[in-house]
Amino acid sequence: MDFSLSQEQQIFQDSARRMLETECRFETRGPLIAKGSFDGDRWRAIAEMGWLGMALPEEHGGFGGGAIETALLMEEIGRVLMVEPVWAIAVLTAHALLASGDERALALLPRLVAGEVLPVLAHNEADAGGVTEHVATVATPTAQGGWRISGEKTLVVGGNIADRFLVSARTSGRTGDREGISLFLVAADAAGLRRQNVRLIDNRWAAHLLLENVQVDKADVIGRVGGAIDALDEAHAYGLLAACAEAIGVMDRALWITRDYLKVRKQFGTTLSSFQALQHRMSEMLIELELSRSMLHRALSLFHAGPEIRRQALAAAKVHIGRSGKFVCGQAIQLHGGIGVTEEYVIGHYFKRMTTIEHELGHSHFHLQRLAELEQRRGTPVAPLAARNAA
Amino acid sequence: MSSASALLEPRTAVPAEDALERYRLDARAWLAEHAPRFSGAVRRGLPLERDVALGRAWQALKAAHGYGAITLPKRYGGGGGTELQKIVFTEEELRYDLPVAYFSISLSNPVPIFLRHAPETFRQRLGPPAIRGEHIWCQLFSEPAAGSDLAALRLRAERQGDGWVLNGQKLWTSWAQIAQWGVIVTRTDPDVPKHAGLTYFFLDMRSPGISVRPIRRLVGHPDLNEVYFDNVYVPDEQRLGEVGGGFRVAIETLMIERYGITDETASSPALEALVELARRARLNGRPALADGEVRAAIARAYVERQGLRSIQKRAMEAIAAGREPGPEGAIRKLLLGRMRQQLGALALDLMGADGIRLDPQGESSRDFAHAWLDPSVRIAGGTDEVLLNTLAERVLGLPQDHRPDKGVPFRQLES
Repeated sequence: MDFSLSQEQQIFQDSARRMLETECRFETRGPLIAKGSFDGDRWRAIAEMGWLGMALPEEHGGFGGGAIETALLMEEIGRVLMVEPVWAIAVLTAHALLASGDERALALLPRLVAGEVLPVLAHNEADAGGVTEHVATVATPTAQGGWRISGEKTLVVGGNIADRFLVSARTSGRTGDREGISLFLVAADAAGLRRQNVRLIDNRWAAHLLLENVQVDKADVIGRVGGAIDALDEAHAYGLLAACAEAIGVMDRALWITRDYLKVRKQFGTTLSSFQALQHRMSEMLIELELSRSMLHRALSLFHAGPEIRRQALAAAKVHIGRSGKFVCGQAIQLHGGIGVTEEYVIGHYFKRMTTIEHELGHSHFHLQRLAELEQRRGTPVAPLAARNAA
Repeated sequence: MSSASALLEPRTAVPAEDALERYRLDARAWLAEHAPRFSGAVRRGLPLERDVALGRAWQALKAAHGYGAITLPKRYGGGGGTELQKIVFTEEELRYDLPVAYFSISLSNPVPIFLRHAPETFRQRLGPPAIRGEHIWCQLFSEPAAGSDLAALRLRAERQGDGWVLNGQKLWTSWAQIAQWGVIVTRTDPDVPKHAGLTYFFLDMRSPGISVRPIRRLVGHPDLNEVYFDNVYVPDEQRLGEVGGGFRVAIETLMIERYGITDETASSPALEALVELARRARLNGRPALADGEVRAAIARAYVERQGLRSIQKRAMEAIAAGREPGPEGAIRKLLLGRMRQQLGALALDLMGADGIRLDPQGESSRDFAHAWLDPSVRIAGGTDEVLLNTLAERVLGLPQDHRPDKGVPFRQLES
């Protein structure tokens, strides 16, 4: 596995870091958060940097990058705790649209990339807990050939500023079935759609959506009726990868901010950094970070190795990063002492972002269990497995 | 220090056990009668001033029945009781969600030390209103450069006429914004080694020159403050202890509550609440309670809770037998802090989206998310690291860390 970046990737990372460090200063972000962690001018500037289309093909307005570019950018976003919904729009939603292969969706992509439209994937439901095929929201056909959607979507990150939603709903089958899920484009002001905006603990914003008989046309179906699971899988794969990369950025900065603090904070006539117990603690944090980073690299290298292997690699990365993140960011607070638990100081906010990332697309417990199931299936002879599936 | 041997001593039966059990039952009955009017739903959503007012009323009621300050002398309005009675009452009281936080420091440290060392006229004047909850006292110890290393504090007190003039800053002062009085450690002589140049006072928090600024915590609790002193005059008669003897008084203050009585959950929801949560939550389409890892975590917490209760019991027996409790307090605090966070993390996983939504009304004792997000129990009142040092040095007899500031005049350390 060769993880050295190409020259273009290096330039991309450097410019992203420079811009983000200037534009996402912790000390001045209060007003931005107060208005929903979104600002039209800033979003257009983000679009001009090319970040909204970094991993999209050029024929759809993108810049032809891929998983690696996504990871690079998200790591930088994590380092500065950016609050704007780049992950939600440019990763989750963009990849759902792209993977749907739907003409209308593809036509929307260049406008998403340019920052002209703000579509947000509204897929997560309260009881999903990371299970992609968990869709209880229902779409029923109308006499006019359209659809009527009812259900609830929770924790739709960036949903507070969406101008339209890409809503997943069940057109057939039962809640956990992979078949029978469809995607619909729904205007944010559609009749019957109620949106409750919620601020998350890490100062990003999300929306809770209540859909009551929301009417859509036949043309608003994105992709094949009942066949949206592949697009959702693809979106979630990119989403998981991006969340893991963001977490690496979060841990990395939390670690180094703490290192710097230990070097200047004096107690008992000496800097905290001279206490070996604390040096060892920092080394343990570094070990966790580097293990996590390696898990991300592994997931990146297996990202195109087939759905089963990719799923396994992403689940493993999410588990490891979730656990390491708790330790690294928790200890970052502990080593800061009192200042660590104040709202005004940045280190506690790394811990908070880590906590929300842990909840995106399934937490560590969920992915650990999924890993166990994948392993079990791999270790079981073929015939009994088939028999079990048939049962 | 005989802590290590105290740990190994066989336990003997406690003669006063029956009387104590009776005390507990009385307290339980009394609380059942009165506490509901001051706790739980009554407090939900109350703004700080009204919750403080409710707390004052509760404290006054307790004081009228001898529960206000159980171990403090009766002549100042205290209960004149024993340490064990106080522990027992507090255990029972913690079953309710009462507005007692505003008084927990006041009546545990500043007021008792004041009643030990202040001139009698002051004790008579200020003791009773403090115990009735009319006055809240704060403890002005920590500073930006003096956290774990208290003796490194810088706030200056300089002689002026019959008193002292104070200049500097205190930090992490709980409830300074609602305190009428405070105790404070100051530096009166920077030309001697750091421990030797400190002097201790009590002071009126409404003195000219004091300004209090709130500190916003990660989960929005309003308790902590910065307190600035700009030429604040304190009469010499408000000195507690000798000039230059402030460090000793400060340590004595902290030792009064040597065995801190915290609830066994360290102010987070109980294990039973977590089990209930796991019963309702679903993991991969199954009840989370069926998940092996969740079960193991709950079982671990359950086992640890048994150990913690046993440690608590041992400390109480030591107190009953007239001995100083050993290292139980430090061990208990370390374990409580860790357990609280482990369970908080697990609970947050089980809660899903609800766990990461910002709920400004949440409180750590009711809300797992807050318990996870606020690790201050592992920092305040002795960090994990300081407690580990204490165990290493005092119990295990290991040498003290290298202290380059030892014996050096404080002035030379300031830079």
